[in-house]
Amino acid sequence: MPESLAVRRADVSNAITRVHEVLDAFASRDHSGEILTAIRHFPAREAQVADFPEWVNANLVSAYAAKGIRRLYTHQAAAAEAVHAGKNIVIVTPTASGKTLCYNLPVLNAVLENSDARALYLFPTKALAQDQLAELYDLNQRLENRFGVFTYDGDTPADARKSIREKGHIILTNPDMLHSGILPHHTRWTRLFENLRYIVLDELHTYRGVFGSHLCNVLRRLRRIARFYGRDLQFICCSATIANPGELASRLVESEVEVLDSNGAPAAEKTFVFYNPPVVNRALGIRRSYINESARVSQEFLKHDLQTMVFANSRLHTEILLTYLQQANPRLPGKPETIRGYRGGYLPNERREIERGLRDGKIRGVVSTSALELGIDVGSLDTVVMAGYPGTIAATWQRAGRAGRRSGSSCAVLVASSSPLDQFMVRHPDYFFGNTPEHAFIQPDNLEILVNHLKCAAFELPIKPNEKFGDVDVADLCARLAAAGFLHLAGENYHWTHEAYPADTISLRSVTSDNFVIIDITGEPNVVGEIDFPSALVFVHEKAIYLHGGQQYHVEHLDFKERKAYVKRVDVDYYTDAIRYTQVRVLEIASTLRNPAAATAKLRKTSSALPDASSSFTSLISTTSFASSYSHGDVQVRSQVVGFKKIKFFTNENIGDGKLELPENEMHTTAYWITLERPLLESLPFSVSERQSGMFGLLHALESVATLLLMCDRRDLGTAIGERPPDAGQESDPIVSLRMEDAVSANAEFFEPNLYLYDAYPGGIGFSEPLFCAHDLLMQKTRELISFCECEQGCPSCVGPAGDLAPRAKEAALAILDGLCA
Amino acid sequence: MAGMADKFSRLAALRPARPSATRAEKAALRAPDQEDALGQLLGAGVAKNHFGEHLAIRNWYSTPEYIEPSTIAVELLSRMRDESLSRKTRAALENPSKWLFLDTETTGLAGGTGTYAFLVGVAWWDAGGLQVEQFFMRDFTEEYSMLQELAARVAERPVLLTFNGKSFDWPLLENRFTMTRAIAAPKLAAHLDLLHPARALWKLRLGTVRLVELERHVLDAPRLGWRREDDVESALIPQYYFDYLRGGSARPLAGIVKHNQMDLRGLAALFCRINTLLSDLSCNAGEVESLDLFGLSRFLQRRGDAGRAHTACAQALAIGLPADVRPKAQRELALMAKRRGEHERAAVIWQEMVADSQDGVRACEQLAIYYERHAKDFRRAMEFAQLALGKLRRERGLLQRLLRDPYAGARRARLEQRFRHRIARLEKKTARSSPARCGGAPEAAAPKASRALW
Repeated sequence: MPESLAVRRADVSNAITRVHEVLDAFASRDHSGEILTAIRHFPAREAQVADFPEWVNANLVSAYAAKGIRRLYTHQAAAAEAVHAGKNIVIVTPTASGKTLCYNLPVLNAVLENSDARALYLFPTKALAQDQLAELYDLNQRLENRFGVFTYDGDTPADARKSIREKGHIILTNPDMLHSGILPHHTRWTRLFENLRYIVLDELHTYRGVFGSHLCNVLRRLRRIARFYGRDLQFICCSATIANPGELASRLVESEVEVLDSNGAPAAEKTFVFYNPPVVNRALGIRRSYINESARVSQEFLKHDLQTMVFANSRLHTEILLTYLQQANPRLPGKPETIRGYRGGYLPNERREIERGLRDGKIRGVVSTSALELGIDVGSLDTVVMAGYPGTIAATWQRAGRAGRRSGSSCAVLVASSSPLDQFMVRHPDYFFGNTPEHAFIQPDNLEILVNHLKCAAFELPIKPNEKFGDVDVADLCARLAAAGFLHLAGENYHWTHEAYPADTISLRSVTSDNFVIIDITGEPNVVGEIDFPSALVFVHEKAIYLHGGQQYHVEHLDFKERKAYVKRVDVDYYTDAIRYTQVRVLEIASTLRNPAAATAKLRKTSSALPDASSSFTSLISTTSFASSYSHGDVQVRSQVVGFKKIKFFTNENIGDGKLELPENEMHTTAYWITLERPLLESLPFSVSERQSGMFGLLHALESVATLLLMCDRRDLGTAIGERPPDAGQESDPIVSLRMEDAVSANAEFFEPNLYLYDAYPGGIGFSEPLFCAHDLLMQKTRELISFCECEQGCPSCVGPAGDLAPRAKEAALAILDGLCA
Repeated sequence: MAGMADKFSRLAALRPARPSATRAEKAALRAPDQEDALGQLLGAGVAKNHFGEHLAIRNWYSTPEYIEPSTIAVELLSRMRDESLSRKTRAALENPSKWLFLDTETTGLAGGTGTYAFLVGVAWWDAGGLQVEQFFMRDFTEEYSMLQELAARVAERPVLLTFNGKSFDWPLLENRFTMTRAIAAPKLAAHLDLLHPARALWKLRLGTVRLVELERHVLDAPRLGWRREDDVESALIPQYYFDYLRGGSARPLAGIVKHNQMDLRGLAALFCRINTLLSDLSCNAGEVESLDLFGLSRFLQRRGDAGRAHTACAQALAIGLPADVRPKAQRELALMAKRRGEHERAAVIWQEMVADSQDGVRACEQLAIYYERHAKDFRRAMEFAQLALGKLRRERGLLQRLLRDPYAGARRARLEQRFRHRIARLEKKTARSSPARCGGAPEAAAPKASRALW
């Protein structure tokens, strides 16, 4: 279709000028130079190509040629060669560089050469698998249906499953289905397992933290089953750019993995802009709302007819931004909506429709959570606007990569919120552009996770006591599981002796696999979405305003037993924000250091995740002795949603609140905490409420710095302040850690408070010990953050907004820090 | 610093599987003499093969008595939709000495590779009665030898008869065979499962079709020769076995073995009952309950025996059915007539049903179709369509208040739409053939009768 191509090209060149027009308009408005803190141009890059390797089946070469692929990019050829040579590999290249060919080529070649060969593709989401299915179908048709390719997930109809098990050469699935649907029924999959050769792990960087730790154990189980059928597996992984792809991959698959990270794909010209919302009140450090500014920036692009993708960091913000943009671009009568929302919780069909609309250009703007960050094919967009720093450098690049896939010019704008991390990034653009992205950590040997997967493993195949599960010896754990009644040793093997099916109760992604269905009862009852259990308490408690697709719903009733939320459509000018109450109890101290006495403290040699941390340790020799200490260990965390605030749209005024009685969530996890002893507090020249505010302010800053140092998601860490127990480790009355507002107003002072930073996952995911080891670095960076901040009495970018704290909170926080560092 | 033990004790994943797991601590091997005691308790002997040992229990029972399977019944039971039987299968089916009844007791109902069958019972006709053999594994180590023995029995008698075994017992055993990687799962010549026939036949009357219920209400339990009075509760069976494995009491195992025996005998008796029902209709009519006859009719219908299905349905109606089932039977009968092309006969039945609250609308629709297509009486067809529309509208308010079925509304709207279309079409047709053509309609369809219903 040469005609439409020409049109498309003209479109592209227009897009370049229009992008520049918008950027010029921003620049002309930025008189002080404080708004656009960075404008970086990335020039277009030429493709580097190579021929198809000689060993590739001729049919496959011509099938690709028919698709218009006659030569490979260099990284694709290198990947194919490495797989052909039998190596485990991880391919690290940016979005839209033709990663899928890297694994499809060698896998399909193997299938064409030997029709028994089988491969299993794992994608973190069902949507990605669907996307890949379309690509493979296309190839298959060009190959006259020489192989069978199917998705196998929760949506697969029961009557299709049997033939998929027999006929599928390539099975596209997700870790959750492998965990609960395939491994526990491996006897039905003998055809697959007896011939399994390749495992493809796409979007490897998503498998970090809890999800990665689970996946690592699922892969242990997979290798174990494959061994049972006499197979050794070869892994092909693809990852977005992170600091340690090789380490992550080899940790996940527990063997050597070769890293391929030279990119041969071409890239179009791109502009990256950091946008800091203008300051409204310098003294209070208040900037214009970044949500409103993001909407404004996006609207500017949309007005110039540039297809725009807006990323928000939470469901709530997605919906707020969607509301704003839909109001600014009202739907024309008789035409479909041009601005759409996209996030988890939308039903699959709705999502497919939005993806199609984006590809064919009918949808001009989309507001999304991280859901569209991964490789779902939505075509190329002209611009990307990020409302708030996504939390990691890797994710920022990934989101920016959504703009301008291969040709034309594109633009990515990061609109900073006033959170400390965002402000740090936009003010130090070199840190972002010059630094390697984050490390991805997993902790597969987290006991809770490990034991759960050991149960599944025993269900799948009896366990020998001398067996290794990954690199873990399981004899002791099996004995304990036997004592608890889950296993039974008979002859040489532990057998599963429980009626329940263990994989059913273990979710790979969150604490529980429970979810709530949201039912609109305005007219005929109609399911509008679903929400996982922990989020349900926050978003669909009674009287909440739940936002979905830009529509507001009032939650009429939350049926706990039936896991249903009944909502009615409303039109109000406010939204709700839940208030949570958290309480921490120390169960066991793994290690404590008293601050002035670093030399004599029992220092545990630990494998620190942050190597530079331990070196700065020894440099600390303090002479003054203000009493404080810091520790890490096991804690019990209880949290509860106790009420909510109503917040007005646009002005963000608090226009009322309500109380709620919802069940408590309880978990055991690991934490790092600082204890402020009485002498330190009393030495401070501040009033009680100022001191209290200072502590909360300090914790606010500590949390931000900790997420930066750990390079983890903000949601992975929780914070709380609580009274130090009389004697840690012993039973004591739980001490309620108050919310900031209550603490400031109540005037009841903590005697010797603990400031907690805990892992927000049962059992912990291994953040506490690195934090403990990096204590001094943490103190130093926190100090820098607070003291270099330009505000006078605290702002959201350092110790928290001034309005919420007593005056002089910032000074108090700094004084406490002085006491801590001395 | 608290020890590892403390850490373990806090793991949710390690919380005891059951509150009463204290006994688990003293899990111990049983002394040889205790094993003998177990054998005595269960009435079992030790069986050996090259995989090892297991316990085997053999008993012969005079009830249920052997009844020659009728060809027609077997044909009906084994017939699947769109699938004709191969000659080999047919030959195997026709030879009752190749039949094997099978029932297992398992460590759970979840399926998957971690569920074991610890007791496998098989039975076959012998000397006019039933020979029952059961294999029991005293521990997981005895599974292979038990499966080996089972494979031999199935190879001898490759036609399997089960109750829900097609979706549960046999796939589970196939899993177990696969897990050995040493013993091939035996090939079946045929597999007759009685769950679906039983459900079709008796669900209407009994509500449930658990084997125990069937024994009590269909098979005339006292005459069968066993009592279920102190039968073990099925739900507790896995637990009893786990307790025994951990050194707990073996006494409940005797109950489980007995339970399995009774299930096998019940299964054989159930076959005999179904065999009689299916083999000959004429001799049934007098002694079979009308509801069962209607169930039988539905079963025959489903398995493609339309002729006898019709007879059974008519018989059931003639004997008399409860008010809630009667319209269903009438409907089926009318549909069967329609399918055979006996439109007038069907119309007569629909006519009777117009006044019915549940099926009135459907009957009107069918009559409208009848008058439009077959009798070509458009005016009358229109009357029935309008009658249906009126019924639907009156129902609307009532339904909304009574039922909170979210789909009812949409369903009704679709139906109404359909009638409106029909009426519109009929109006055109009547206009075209203006002098309304009358006649051809049976006398029963007097419009007066239908008007009275407005």
